[in-house]
Amino acid sequence: MLALEARDLTVSARIGAATVPAIRALSFQLAPGKILGLVGESGAGKTMVGRAIAQLLPPGFAITAGALLFEGEDLLTMAPARRRALLGRAIAFIPQAPMTALNPVLTIGAQFDEHLARLGLKSRNARRERAIAMLTAAHLPRAEDLLTQYPHQLSGGMCQRALIALAFAGNPRLVVADEPTTALDVTMHPPILHLIAEMQRQHGTAVIFITHDLRLAAQLCDDVIVMYAGRAVESGPARTVFATPAHPYTRCLQLANPAMSAERRTLYVLPDQMPSLVQLQHIAGCHFAPRCPLVTAECHREEPPQVAVTAVHTVTCIRAADTFGISTAGRSFGPPALLEQPLLRVENLSKHFAISRGLFGAARTVAAVNDVSFTIAENEFVALVGESGSGKSTIARLLVGLEQPSSGRIVFDGADLTTPSLRNRTRRAASLQMVFQDPQSALNPRRPIASIVTQAMEAGSRHASAEDRLKRTKELLAEMGMPADIAARLPGQLSGGQRQRINIARALCRVPKVLIADEIVSGLDVSIQAQLLSLLARLRAELGFAMLFISHDLSVVRHLCSRVLVMYRGEIVEQGPVEEVFGNPQHPHTQALLSSVPPDEPGATWPLLRAN
Amino acid sequence: MAGSLAHALRSPRVLLALAMVLGLGVCAIFAGFIAPHDPGEQNLLSILTPPAWAPDGDPSFLLGTDSLGRDVLSRLIYGARTAMLVAVFASFGAMIIGTILAHIAGYFGGAVDWIIGRLVDVWMSFPPVILSLILMVGLGVGLDRVILAIVLVDWTRFCRVLRSEVLIVRRHDYVAAARLLGFSHWQTIVREILPATLPLLITLFSLEMAIAVVVEAILSFVGLGVGPNQAAWGQMIADARQYVYQSPWNLLLPIFAIFFAVAAFNLLGDGLRRTLDVRLAQAER
Repeated sequence: MLALEARDLTVSARIGAATVPAIRALSFQLAPGKILGLVGESGAGKTMVGRAIAQLLPPGFAITAGALLFEGEDLLTMAPARRRALLGRAIAFIPQAPMTALNPVLTIGAQFDEHLARLGLKSRNARRERAIAMLTAAHLPRAEDLLTQYPHQLSGGMCQRALIALAFAGNPRLVVADEPTTALDVTMHPPILHLIAEMQRQHGTAVIFITHDLRLAAQLCDDVIVMYAGRAVESGPARTVFATPAHPYTRCLQLANPAMSAERRTLYVLPDQMPSLVQLQHIAGCHFAPRCPLVTAECHREEPPQVAVTAVHTVTCIRAADTFGISTAGRSFGPPALLEQPLLRVENLSKHFAISRGLFGAARTVAAVNDVSFTIAENEFVALVGESGSGKSTIARLLVGLEQPSSGRIVFDGADLTTPSLRNRTRRAASLQMVFQDPQSALNPRRPIASIVTQAMEAGSRHASAEDRLKRTKELLAEMGMPADIAARLPGQLSGGQRQRINIARALCRVPKVLIADEIVSGLDVSIQAQLLSLLARLRAELGFAMLFISHDLSVVRHLCSRVLVMYRGEIVEQGPVEEVFGNPQHPHTQALLSSVPPDEPGATWPLLRAN
Repeated sequence: MAGSLAHALRSPRVLLALAMVLGLGVCAIFAGFIAPHDPGEQNLLSILTPPAWAPDGDPSFLLGTDSLGRDVLSRLIYGARTAMLVAVFASFGAMIIGTILAHIAGYFGGAVDWIIGRLVDVWMSFPPVILSLILMVGLGVGLDRVILAIVLVDWTRFCRVLRSEVLIVRRHDYVAAARLLGFSHWQTIVREILPATLPLLITLFSLEMAIAVVVEAILSFVGLGVGPNQAAWGQMIADARQYVYQSPWNLLLPIFAIFFAVAAFNLLGDGLRRTLDVRLAQAER
């Protein structure tokens, strides 16, 4: 008997007077002990599938057709009491944000106790023993001590382990894992995924694994469904689908992902973005047609039928035969020449933060950045990688002057910028700019776009005329590849990718020599990320600037940068040309970072996932 | 900002409140034209006349007269002038002081924030009415003194509420970005932070006007208000207190006037808060 079967599952959203399908006639079969991957970018509807199983749809959404059979019983029509009995026991969930999924005011032990009591374990001692056994099975050390601790005392990875233990505690027959590693540090990804795979094998559980990472899905899943705008566009065995993609969207996504091992190439840039539910109403025919490189007139006429590529591999596209022809050119931009004279030189930079312990406690200092030295040459893109809390963002804030260093020097173009004098501040404003991570927070929601991108022109006592600012706005928007009519809008009316471009445009207004970019593509979808990365490469060729690119994504770093600095606990533990450092990592932390990226080839094995 | 103001003007709550405030404003500004009599003119032949519609009412005194034969309607209208003057100027003064200190404290943080915060704490530990009474004793009576007393007592209200809002806005990256683009501290506060705190500022201002009306009435009631030559609602209540059985109208009418003014300002403040506050507006949508 199948663990889960969806038959023409349709979830609709009410928008105004109309209803728009957010998931359209989704069908799949999941056998016990198998892992089914749902992959796609945000807005594809993959999270909605998990929510439909739990029947926790957001307001305005409803399941309007189809059936969802759990071991032959329809979850949609069964009595609510029966469904409640199944959820949490036979069907368990692993959430995306582990820190917020645990109750902060209860100990881990209390939360296990409550859950195990609901599962029917009568005696308190039995529950305690079972909790310890499950936590130990999740490779958490000192399980007894852990039971008395609160969630905030654990790291994100430990919380996620505890949640996985909790999910598998009831011997579930189906587990829904929604992006279980996205909120965690990269080095935590392999152990967590390994744990899920191990638990799944031990318990013979069927797993629905929701992710945006194609390489990860290829490694972990038996079968995958690629979703686009609420439709399953391609489905089949994971390795087959990713080795021989038949849908243009799957192929384009793969090409938009920077490679980790193969020759560096230009990224495939899908134009535009996934249509929202409102836009979907006005798209006739294939939903992907407006962005598709293989589009023909027929694509706009009617929705493509599902066709079988092989017995197990199906695709909804009429041009599937030509998909493999989509390709990108080889590397189009060479590494910039390393100049002898460095533009920015950081010497023995340190930053200590004082942690006071009440009125009489001894003040303790913590070194966020400890004795860091590096240089950036003109036109050079240098990457700064490391885990969260390693001091990457502190370096960025020190460089632009938002924090003052405890010791060390920052030398720009031969002049010392370390002291926070007015002269240094004006010099920084003209030549050293920062792009912030979150455009939502970095763009004033009350300023129109034209006013944001030329904000530098109203600083100090200089007041540029309205015509000058409008002229510069038009130039900047054209450079960013954005339509000029966007100038009058507010940031809230733009999409995430557009906002990030405005964020970059503002920093480029006075054509700085060095750009500090703090995680500017993380949290964006792969196709939007590819758009921004090619934009940055093009802007460097046109304007000429150097960049310190802070990131945790090594494949992006490899694609964009020529040199890399690896940070670990406030210190730079390794630095050098990207090819050299990635090809022959010396420091254990660099090695750990590199091995936590799944391999490019869908057929290759990822040792960290298989190892025991 | 302009968009949210237009949005605010579509809310029936705000429109009703604005109509009420407008009515009070017209009374205050055009008191000399509207009032049928001089508010201080005594008519000792007809004291404590009931309103015109009562059996022995006098049509020339529409709402009757008080114990000195002064026309109640005229005194109410001139009282509105006093109340509105106090409400507008006292709130404005308190707003200026409170807002400046709140933005300095919230923006710079650290020791500056600590000093301003403690000053507010100490200031607020005095009961507000007692503090204003003491101030009036020291300053003497008069319209300007009432305004000064209210400003000195109520600036803390603006300071404390706005400071926490400034702290929230300051955490946004766009404030840091403005500094990096070369904005001075002053430019950053005025162009990046103030526009974000303005909705709250407007709301607080309209609520403060209601408080100022009540405080002015209290001060006038105990005789430490605008002085005997000027008509004030608090004074009218104090005068009517002794004749409450002979002429209840004299007591009820100024009370109703105060109620009307306070309700108008509170309604306006609440309506503006609902429409201008981005977070609340989003939650409702």
